[in-house]
Amino acid sequence: MSFSLIDFLQALTAGILVGSAYALMCVGLGIIFGAMRVVNFAQGDFLMLGMYAAFYLTTGYGVLAFLGPYGGPIVAAFLAGPIVFAVGWLVHRFIVSRVTGSGAAASEGAGAYGQILTTLGLSLILQNGALIVFGSTPTAIRSPLSRSSWEIGDVLLNQGRCVSFLVAVVVAAAVYLFLGHTRLGKGLRAAADNSQAAIYMGIDVDRAHRLAWSLGVGITAIAGGLVASSQSFQPYTGFDFVIVMYAGVVLGGLGSILGAFWGGLLIGIVQQASTLVFPYQLQNTCIFIVFLLIIFLRPQGMFGRLSERT
Amino acid sequence: MRTRPESNRQRWAIAAVAAAVLALSLVLRSAYYELVLTQVLLWAVMSLGWNILCGYGGYFSFGHAVFWGLGAYTVALAMIYLNLSPWVSIPFCAVVGAVAGAIIGFPTFRLKGHYFALAMLAYPLAMLPIFQWLGFQELALPMKRETAALYMQFEDPRVYVVLALGLMVVALSISLWVENSRFGMALTAIKQNEPAAEAAGIDTWRWKMLALMLSGAIAAVAGGLYAVVLLVLTPDTVFGMLVSAQALILALFGGVGSLWGPIIGAMVLVPLAEGLNAELGNVLPGIQGVVYGVAIIVIILCAPEGVYWRVLDRLNRNKKPEPRATVAAAPVVALLQPRGTAGGDLLVLRGIGISFGGLRALDQIDLAVPPGGLYGIIGPNGAGKTTLFNVINGFLAPGNGTAEFAGEKITGLRPNRICRRGIGRTFQVVRAFARMSVLENVIVGAYVGAPDDTAARNMALAALDRVGLSVRADAIAGGLTTRELRLMELARALAPNPRLVLLDETLAGLGHEDLDGILGVIRQIRTDGTTVLIIEHTMQAMVNLVDHFTVLDHGRLIAEGKPNDVVRDQRVIEAYLGKKWVERVAATAN
Amino acid sequence: MTHHSVTRRSVTAGIATAIGALAAPAIVRAQAKTIKIASIAPLSGPWARQGQLLKMGTDMAMEDINAAGGIKSLGGAKIEVIAADAGDSTEKAKNAAQRLLSDQPELVGGTGAWLSSFTLAVTEVTERASLPWLTLSYSDAITNRGFKFVFQTSPTADWQAKETVPTALKLAEAATHKTPKTVGIIMDNTAAPVSFSKPLREGGLEKMGLKLTVDQIFTPPLSDATPLIEKVRSAKPDFLLLLTSAMPDCKLVLEKLDEFKLAHGKVPLVGNGAPFGSPELLSTIGPELLEGLLFSVANWPTKGQEEFIERFKKRTGEPFLTQDGLCGYGDVAILAAALEAAGAADRIKVAEAIRKMNLTTGPAAQCFPGPIKFDGKGRRVDVPMIFAQWQKGVPISVFPADLALGKAVWPSV
Repeated sequence: MSFSLIDFLQALTAGILVGSAYALMCVGLGIIFGAMRVVNFAQGDFLMLGMYAAFYLTTGYGVLAFLGPYGGPIVAAFLAGPIVFAVGWLVHRFIVSRVTGSGAAASEGAGAYGQILTTLGLSLILQNGALIVFGSTPTAIRSPLSRSSWEIGDVLLNQGRCVSFLVAVVVAAAVYLFLGHTRLGKGLRAAADNSQAAIYMGIDVDRAHRLAWSLGVGITAIAGGLVASSQSFQPYTGFDFVIVMYAGVVLGGLGSILGAFWGGLLIGIVQQASTLVFPYQLQNTCIFIVFLLIIFLRPQGMFGRLSERT
Repeated sequence: MRTRPESNRQRWAIAAVAAAVLALSLVLRSAYYELVLTQVLLWAVMSLGWNILCGYGGYFSFGHAVFWGLGAYTVALAMIYLNLSPWVSIPFCAVVGAVAGAIIGFPTFRLKGHYFALAMLAYPLAMLPIFQWLGFQELALPMKRETAALYMQFEDPRVYVVLALGLMVVALSISLWVENSRFGMALTAIKQNEPAAEAAGIDTWRWKMLALMLSGAIAAVAGGLYAVVLLVLTPDTVFGMLVSAQALILALFGGVGSLWGPIIGAMVLVPLAEGLNAELGNVLPGIQGVVYGVAIIVIILCAPEGVYWRVLDRLNRNKKPEPRATVAAAPVVALLQPRGTAGGDLLVLRGIGISFGGLRALDQIDLAVPPGGLYGIIGPNGAGKTTLFNVINGFLAPGNGTAEFAGEKITGLRPNRICRRGIGRTFQVVRAFARMSVLENVIVGAYVGAPDDTAARNMALAALDRVGLSVRADAIAGGLTTRELRLMELARALAPNPRLVLLDETLAGLGHEDLDGILGVIRQIRTDGTTVLIIEHTMQAMVNLVDHFTVLDHGRLIAEGKPNDVVRDQRVIEAYLGKKWVERVAATAN
Repeated sequence: MTHHSVTRRSVTAGIATAIGALAAPAIVRAQAKTIKIASIAPLSGPWARQGQLLKMGTDMAMEDINAAGGIKSLGGAKIEVIAADAGDSTEKAKNAAQRLLSDQPELVGGTGAWLSSFTLAVTEVTERASLPWLTLSYSDAITNRGFKFVFQTSPTADWQAKETVPTALKLAEAATHKTPKTVGIIMDNTAAPVSFSKPLREGGLEKMGLKLTVDQIFTPPLSDATPLIEKVRSAKPDFLLLLTSAMPDCKLVLEKLDEFKLAHGKVPLVGNGAPFGSPELLSTIGPELLEGLLFSVANWPTKGQEEFIERFKKRTGEPFLTQDGLCGYGDVAILAAALEAAGAADRIKVAEAIRKMNLTTGPAAQCFPGPIKFDGKGRRVDVPMIFAQWQKGVPISVFPADLALGKAVWPSV
């Protein structure tokens, strides 16, 4: 299949821009997966909540109307983060904490089974609850940025996606700094690496997990808010992204925020650039093939560490 | 492992459930209920298949839909393009599922835990676009008006109930067989502690592959019958996330790793979901999903491992533990043969070296252990002693050097192969199969040397006797003291009568009286003819125990020889205590 | 906001139906039996919106028919539409069909299930129960199975393709005095677009003197339309056939076309399928970008329905009437007409009546373009393909002229 340089550059830039949103989603998931070793099936649904939060902030009651059609959606995306953070906090406090961390250390598989079912149940509740509350009509945030582009030579860069790229990078960098350089952040990482030791060191592991969970869903929600002005969404949208998120996180390496970011970016690039060579219909298959290849050739991902001491 | 009467009870239970389902199907008047019953049974089969790999073996799969979907499409495509009857293609699905399992297992079993589960997730989702692309977005099984029965198309929905029930009985019987066999024990061992199983001689890769292939075969056959019942297939319907999730949910809800868990899950959740759809579907769309999700969460918070185990726990709590027929150590027929020294050293290491990234963990290690010897490996923390054992044992492949055992090269062999050759191992941190009894733990170790299960049991009993732990044979390993755990692990290593045992810090954490006991056991092991290589810290005990010391420091061999000589060696003292001490000792000597 | 009112209405509708169901036995005792008709559509799950629109149509039809005196040949018997949720999977759709049939043995006919795979699953059940079934779905498989009780109100995909392209060409010629020579296709790989484009690729386009210069198929949902539209930019076909069946994908494609400065007539667009006329498209993209978007569709509000359209809008709060509501209404009207002709609340007779039908007047015929007449396979024959076009934020029918509510404008720069 032949393609021109322009085709290639266009696909590559599209991949990077789309991938930046994936990257931020993966960062959110990576925090949870890395800190709690929990496979959170509901992550996509928190993404969806972020989309709706951003939507209502932008359109409802003219709250953000004074920021204009350009600024409104961006600020709304940012604000979606704390809102979903709060929701996540409550969810963890009352449900998730009972099946993860110290609440589950005694049961077989450290409560792995309970976690999976709980997050699956959570996913069902969020999706269908959203259907009841928001209705089934697909919506999107209207923004003039989604249909304008900047031109670099012959390559067009979608403005909306460029802005979300910038926001994603800023937020991811902030998270990275937070985790690496603040007391709270370091406590999180300690709890992730070895929760028992962390307890002995006086770190409240449950609190750390709650923070990780809420932060994780909040970050993913911001990504959702960003995507919401480019694509339409409905209560079941989360489904489409869960796999992409997991592929990105595993690709990047367990426990590495940087890895999660790059993993998500790479997924985006693969998704768009694969259309140059493979049938467009097999876009997502290509993602999985790359995912499987990386897992087999380098199971610790790009930035992760191999563990398992004998 | 179940006893004979217990297995029979389970078989009767299976027959009883089958009879009950048949009776139910005769009583139900409506085609709709029969359809739901058929679906309950099919999903139960799918979940049973999932359970074999994931419940028994502990390797969670989030992608079993790939087998279900392949089975369904096999039947549909065979009927549409080859005019092949489902009576033929459904059994063939077992082959399809097994082959798919083999192809998938080859690369995927290199992963563990979450990585494995997520990799499995990728397979059905990768298949989805492929089937769309191939033009199979919507397949409808053609209606055969004339030769309906030949193509498994019946007007009476009860026939499908019977077919699905037949599948379920087969799947239950297979599960029961797995549970009672060495296969099941191996899977349980793998689930509870895979490295220990590997070191005890269990060919973990082979058993895992078999489990995946069997699991895939069952799921594919269920998928094939599903296609016949549903009559319309789309890639999303059979490869979608919901299918994999359903297999999981049913088993986890009902009781993971149990025979009846998937059945309970299917019989409760499938009708519940359908009922919610029926009642609330058009009143408040979406409410059924919310209720289902809430129900799942509530149940899991109350019974994290599933209904079956919770109920069992409740029942057993009130029951007094039956005094089991005492595991009388049958008169130990001398399974031990005197080991002749056939000349030459038993274990020879030449130039062993290994690096981890930039760290040279072992360098130029030479070691020769004669048969019948009791050799000690000592050195300060981080010297590389356990790493050396991992190399000998096969958990690590050395970068340089060779290892020979009884004249044959063993470098690069997998741990279970090395165990087969006759090397046993205990671990620095005891690796017990925590949920099995002491006896079962040791039986796992005996498999590699036993021609059948009875022999394995006898060998296990003999080994327990050797270490003096017979009285605790029935205790659950998770509740043992440190001393008992170490003895158990020792027994497990000794059960197949190895020629060499590697003991990694067996004396660690023991108090004074316990110490003497274990030392006595170790001496007896050597007297019985088994060669012993032991890593230890406690100098005092070791000096009187071993024939020979090898001293490691920072991955290098710094001294070896008779114990009394080695402890006075300057380099050794310096390694342990540092230069200052050496000077002080030298000063006081003067 | 429409979505709010939809949910509230579903609740009130549900409660109303429940109360109605409770009161029904009393009514039944009082006069002639109620005739039961099934309506299966996705009311929850990703396609819930479409299902709800269908339900709006069927409910309105039920009210109108009953208000007009019910089925006269059956002594003024009222009809009752019993709805079931097809959910989000073919398994749930099949279960819904089986449940309805088991719970309601007096069903005489039904309509649904919007998504072609759901329709396939449902009709497997209804065919074996000899229940006449009407549907707007049109993938090839639906009427290729040799079934006798399935009636497809939409023309086949084949027919639609053969009507759409020449008409588009004619419109283009009339407006620009030039015949388009190249065409591009962008579509997803669900059954309906695949069925539609198959005859085109297999010589159909060649016969019309068109060369296919862009041919892009994707698996929905689409993540980003850049690589797709990049192809359009480089090939610059004379017009573009858009066969994206889901609204979210339409939005991505249309916005990307605008971004690449190919919208507003630069590359004339011809779509196919009802999603191109959905109110959601309007609320997410906005009227300016949609202006001039032409699409062919199996059924759309046409001349003579103006009063009906207003009534629908008032009753449901929807900004305009679309295919789903119209077909839902029409299917119930067809069944009512069949009942009148059959004179008995009997499935076989109703099916017979539908097979013999040739309606050109009456409430049923007013809902569909062309005569209501089915061939041996349950397909409608001689159906004029309707074209609708977005004009000032409303998609109105523009072709054929005798049915159109507006005038066609071929988009050009």
